[in-house]
Amino acid sequence: MQIHKDVRNFILFIRRFFNLILFLLLEIICIVLIERTNTLQGNDIVSSANMVSGIIYKKQSDVVYYFGLRKMNDSLLNENARLRRQIDEVRTLDTLKDSLVHRKINPIDSSSHIVRYADYIYRTARVINNSTTASDNYITLDRGSKDGISKNMAVISGTGIVGRVEHVSPHYSSVLSILSSKQKVSAKLKDGTNGYIIWDEKQPDVLIMTDVPQQARVKKGDSVYTAIFSIFSPDILIGTVLKTETVKKNAMQLIYLQSSTNFHKLQYVYVIENKMMVEKKQLEDSTGKK
Amino acid sequence: MNVYLKNTLRFCIIILLQVLILNKITLRWWSEPSGFPVFIPYVYPLFILLLPFETPVWALLIMGFILGTTVDSFMNTAGMHACATVLIAYLRTNVLSALLPRNLSEYAGQHPSIRSMGWMPFLVYSAFLIVLHHFVFFTIELWSLSNFGFLLLKIVASSITSMLFIVVYLLLFTRQSTSRI
Repeated sequence: MQIHKDVRNFILFIRRFFNLILFLLLEIICIVLIERTNTLQGNDIVSSANMVSGIIYKKQSDVVYYFGLRKMNDSLLNENARLRRQIDEVRTLDTLKDSLVHRKINPIDSSSHIVRYADYIYRTARVINNSTTASDNYITLDRGSKDGISKNMAVISGTGIVGRVEHVSPHYSSVLSILSSKQKVSAKLKDGTNGYIIWDEKQPDVLIMTDVPQQARVKKGDSVYTAIFSIFSPDILIGTVLKTETVKKNAMQLIYLQSSTNFHKLQYVYVIENKMMVEKKQLEDSTGKK
Repeated sequence: MNVYLKNTLRFCIIILLQVLILNKITLRWWSEPSGFPVFIPYVYPLFILLLPFETPVWALLIMGFILGTTVDSFMNTAGMHACATVLIAYLRTNVLSALLPRNLSEYAGQHPSIRSMGWMPFLVYSAFLIVLHHFVFFTIELWSLSNFGFLLLKIVASSITSMLFIVVYLLLFTRQSTSRI
């Protein structure tokens, strides 16, 4: 009889506070969901890489795409010009004037026997959704695992770095951009000084480079590139220096950068696959365990 | 029109409006280097605000959760919008019964609107819940009180713009009362 009464009391209690219990339950679910995104594994259910939001974003992008074609054309031309200039730096001979000259391509330092240039595969993708106002900004691309994209690949635009692939579905993927408090990118100055790039969550065009020793001489307008040990291929432009600031506590400099990628008008990006990444990761993990 | 059909339609319209149009326009009040935050107006809590008076609290909570997770899945925020929306869904009934002169059960078949409540009560009702929603959302999003001024600025600016957009939405989408005799 006692148990019977307890059960009845329990049911009465539930009925009395049903709304409150439901409310607390739903809030706990939300908090668990929020917590899970802070780990690197992330949750694939609630992300814009899923089918429905992917299709809706794609439809919208199809409509808006045409309005930006002119700007996109210009940016492609600029990129072509930059790449041509880079080719000319390597090929110093004037092939227009004396086309009969043959030249052996010397590797930059002849002691290395390893062919490095085949490490990276570049895939193009279109940006179908883009945000700059949140404190962790995501970009949705119209390529997914069926196009060979997988987690943790680096993403760059024609002018600079963009972010890292976080969720992948068969046809879409969502990229955590560097405008996020969750990721750091290792960067270097022109003289080789290393540091980290973070975002201060306030302005979508300004990045901060930390951990730069004070003796590094930095001037306004200097360029900052990705370092070789980041997930990005090395020497991709990150931004140009706006101003510097000294932190008195640890004698380091803070460098404010104008991001070279215009995140407001992102339309197409390259997803970089680093073929050596898996091997490197395995090696680093196996040494880390010991 | 059937109440269920009407609200489903409104759900779709509000989600599409929020995701496809309002999320794309980034507003800034002054030039950027002054440190003023960029923000987007959030209009989607309006769906919860406009549900009929007699909706039970558990239904409000579940719909708030669905609405929040839908917006979350579009904006990659995983639970932040849902958390804020469930909170305002829970408090909605209390706010309404505090603001309205009569008992809630006497308003059968109506939903909160400027016509049924009057301008001032409706604005107070929606402003209170919207500010609460924005407060919770931005606090979770930034999750630090180190720059409290920035947080406060973001909440205030964003709430005011959201309210403006909500008023515009209401003026556009409510049928003008022609048969009021």
